[in-house]
Amino acid sequence: MATPAQLGLQNATSPIMEELIAFHDHALMIIFLISSLVLYIMSLMLTTKLTHTSTMNAQEIEMIWTILPAIILIMIALPSLRILYMTDEFIKPYLTLKAIGHQWYWSYEYSDYEDLAFDSYIMPTYFLEPGEFRLLEVDNRTTLPMEADIRMLVSSHDVLHSWAVPSLGVKTDAIPGRLNQITLASMRPGLFYGQCSEICGSNHSFMPIVLEFIYFQDFEVWAS
Amino acid sequence: MLATRVFSLVGKRAISTSACVRAHGSVVKSEDYARPSYVDRRDYPLPDVAHVRHLSASQKALKEKEKASWSSLSMDEKVELYRIQFKESFAEMNRGSNEWKTVVGAAMFFIGFTAILVILEKRYVYGPLPHTFDKEWVAMQTKRMLDLKMNPIDGLASKWDYEKKEWKK
Repeated sequence: MATPAQLGLQNATSPIMEELIAFHDHALMIIFLISSLVLYIMSLMLTTKLTHTSTMNAQEIEMIWTILPAIILIMIALPSLRILYMTDEFIKPYLTLKAIGHQWYWSYEYSDYEDLAFDSYIMPTYFLEPGEFRLLEVDNRTTLPMEADIRMLVSSHDVLHSWAVPSLGVKTDAIPGRLNQITLASMRPGLFYGQCSEICGSNHSFMPIVLEFIYFQDFEVWAS
Repeated sequence: MLATRVFSLVGKRAISTSACVRAHGSVVKSEDYARPSYVDRRDYPLPDVAHVRHLSASQKALKEKEKASWSSLSMDEKVELYRIQFKESFAEMNRGSNEWKTVVGAAMFFIGFTAILVILEKRYVYGPLPHTFDKEWVAMQTKRMLDLKMNPIDGLASKWDYEKKEWKK
């Protein structure tokens, strides 16, 4: 989860998130360069003593500032598309489970196992154990095996929701009548928090997601 | 009925009279902005018309003298010719002003006013913070985050020395 007043992205837990962080740094560097260049030029324009401000023929610079942005855009688009296709790569998942959004909780169905389904409500603040995180804890965490490809099917029972876990780089809209598929993989064990990311009513801010990644053997024990 | 007729006649007269005054009452000039005009602009150094359009007799004589060699003009005459042509010199038109002090002062005043509102809000309107903001709870929370090894790469858990059980120097 994020530490207070955190500005940047959370540390990556999945390989896709690592790629996203690298792409974010790349795109942000380009944005900073362009913004500082524009700010510098604006400051020059505001403090010039030159008086001839009506432009005439400027063919060369027009060429440059048409071609150069096109090249910059290509340099942003290529890594972006690469990651986009990477998320869609065909994998053979170890586990498939469904996350169904309701107003205002998530329910998880592990259809690979018999009879494994549960609801996941937010833990109210006055019920928190000492040291737990306000507005982030749930009563039943979603337990998953680490270092395994997991297929997550996200849908909704009523209105639009969105199932998001930032440290895994996952955000998938939960649309009623539709199954959206996303693959998860965690490189580390532990708890990873997320929150509903599509406005869904009065308790939209109060339906968090907690993924508990544990070792394979422990997961098999838990599931049975 | 006669009275209303008289009143309407007087009323109409009053309206038309005031309209006439507005159109021709001002002696100076009625600006026609479609015609070439004089401007004092740094990026338009040579305005379309001269500043003084109706020259006095002495100014007309000076303009005649200008047609001869310029070395015969005195400094005062050159300045007079300049002032006929231009209203303000570059130094005069580019002069700074004290407007920035007014702007900064007004901005600080409004920021201060907003700060007063925020302080009153915090004091009289808001309820207490949740108990999870207490120092002890935050300490327990931080310990839990370290135990869970949250953000171990360059975030919180990476700043904790797990062997020595203290923050990394």
